[in-house]
Amino acid sequence: MFSPIAPLTHSITVYLDDQPITASKGESVAACLLRAGVAFNRLTPVSGAPRLPYCMIGQCFDCLVEIDGIGNQQACLTIVRDRMRVRRQNGAAVALEHSAQ
Amino acid sequence: MTQTTDMRPSVPMDADIIIVGCGPAGMTAAIELAEANCSVIVLDMQPTPGGQIFRNLEDNISQKSSDKQKLLAALGPAYRAGADLIRRFRASSRIDYRPLTTVWEVRPDGTVGWLRGVDAGYLRATTVILAHGAMERPVPFPGWTLPGVMTAGAVQTLLKAGNLKPTGNVVLVGTGPLLLLLATQLHKLGVKPTLIARTDRFSDGLRAMRHLRRNGLLPVIKGLGWLAQLKRAGVRMVSGLSDIAAEGEQKVEAVSFTAKGLRVRQACDLLVVHDGIVPAIDIPNGAGLALQWDQANASWRPRTTPDGLASSTLPPDLQPERCAVRITGDARRIGGAEAAIAHGQLTAQAILAELGKGSGISSKSQQAVDRTLSVRPFLDTAFPPGLSATLPDDNTIVCRCEELTAGALREKIRTGFSNMDALRGETRCGMGPCQGRNCMITAARLIEEAHGACVPTPPVFRGRPPIRPLPLGALAGLNGLDPSATELLTLEDKPEHDVEATSDVPAE
Repeated sequence: MFSPIAPLTHSITVYLDDQPITASKGESVAACLLRAGVAFNRLTPVSGAPRLPYCMIGQCFDCLVEIDGIGNQQACLTIVRDRMRVRRQNGAAVALEHSAQ
Repeated sequence: MTQTTDMRPSVPMDADIIIVGCGPAGMTAAIELAEANCSVIVLDMQPTPGGQIFRNLEDNISQKSSDKQKLLAALGPAYRAGADLIRRFRASSRIDYRPLTTVWEVRPDGTVGWLRGVDAGYLRATTVILAHGAMERPVPFPGWTLPGVMTAGAVQTLLKAGNLKPTGNVVLVGTGPLLLLLATQLHKLGVKPTLIARTDRFSDGLRAMRHLRRNGLLPVIKGLGWLAQLKRAGVRMVSGLSDIAAEGEQKVEAVSFTAKGLRVRQACDLLVVHDGIVPAIDIPNGAGLALQWDQANASWRPRTTPDGLASSTLPPDLQPERCAVRITGDARRIGGAEAAIAHGQLTAQAILAELGKGSGISSKSQQAVDRTLSVRPFLDTAFPPGLSATLPDDNTIVCRCEELTAGALREKIRTGFSNMDALRGETRCGMGPCQGRNCMITAARLIEEAHGACVPTPPVFRGRPPIRPLPLGALAGLNGLDPSATELLTLEDKPEHDVEATSDVPAE
């Protein structure tokens, strides 16, 4: 859906669901995920529908992800850091799985 | 200048002025106030100054690669025009600039709750300027939650700050100058839109002609230039469309709409939507500030004096002695960067006059505000809301967070939930992470649909802090203000003090 305008500079590594992906210093987590081409950054808690960033300016809250262990972080407002751990949010399915254990 | 009521102890001030938002209005006000020796704190969500209009400008200008030069050329002179303002903002040593900081509460007495990473606290100033800008008008239509549907502003943000451009079939749908500007920017970057489908009609443009003013000619000429460029490039354009729907299961695959009586379907990889921009009212509403309905722009905006002074809707016994909040830029009234700069300056002059400094609002500033806003009646008439013109059908999602359809809300409204807060409490509409930013206007219009437009201003959800998610750890470590100093405004601001009717809630 998106491709880089200029070649990546100042590459760093972030982990998306434990897999290393390349990020560019200074970019937002949302831009990083869109460049990586993920199909979704979260599944909704109600119906499990996939979502990707919609507004990119902190108004829609569709780009929510877990960052370094804290859930519901706005990916469009968070700048990547080297070795940052990003997890996609899998809605209620995962929460229910946890509570069943 | 600290004024406190008898009930509250005096609270030390962290600065003379706190400014929320670091776009053209916020930066201009900050520079002006700092030059007059005021201490200024600027809080902004973004990593660098500029707001959405001048987003990531410093970085894009500093890069000398040919790709970045091409990007700068595509974004155009109006983008580069912000460089000087940002330089002056950075150069001022009296401005305490705090990027990557979200604001989750503002109170009419000048208190501001902030969050940066996992640190949070309160700051207080004699005056707070809200210059937090605008958002795109919410456009509920079938499929608007699918991955691959994005707003025009989102795609522009990715160009400016994400080093990303769209690939594949790109379709732009909606109305307004931003849609056409983005289309020309994409074309200059080698991305030719597959289709631009507009809701506005030729007749809207004709009707708008009578609003043309000499001062507003330049933006109109610019817009016609964009259209001519796109035509020359052979971009397919349709106007006067209605009944848009995005199709697809896991992502958008096609868009369909009705134009000239025919149903059109176009395959796409990215569907860009835009229906004009509206003031972001999350902070003013959360602060209990008065709002008004702007019929011309079909949006709420804060009720302010011409020099930006807001007014509190709290009952008299809870009102601070003076409302410390002023609102400027697009957050007050949509006008674009130049209007924001003009009004930011005027607001700063009004504050300086209040502090006994400066010589009040200059006629030059007043004229600049009038001049820069003079094109608005033309634009409002030429690009009326289209995607959001008719209310969504029953199957369309209204509340993106809680996935509530218009049908679900209509059913509750029919059974008596005709009050916004009752509807919210019953359905969770507006209770998700976005806190109603994307569903409030539609919920209000659905209530009006059932009960008639009985009020001059559509009803709003009562805003409550925190208006943005605040991690528990940050809340536990809150710093900066003695809690007892805030008790009066936070604990006693309950509905029984308000005119709000709780009798609208049906009995169990």
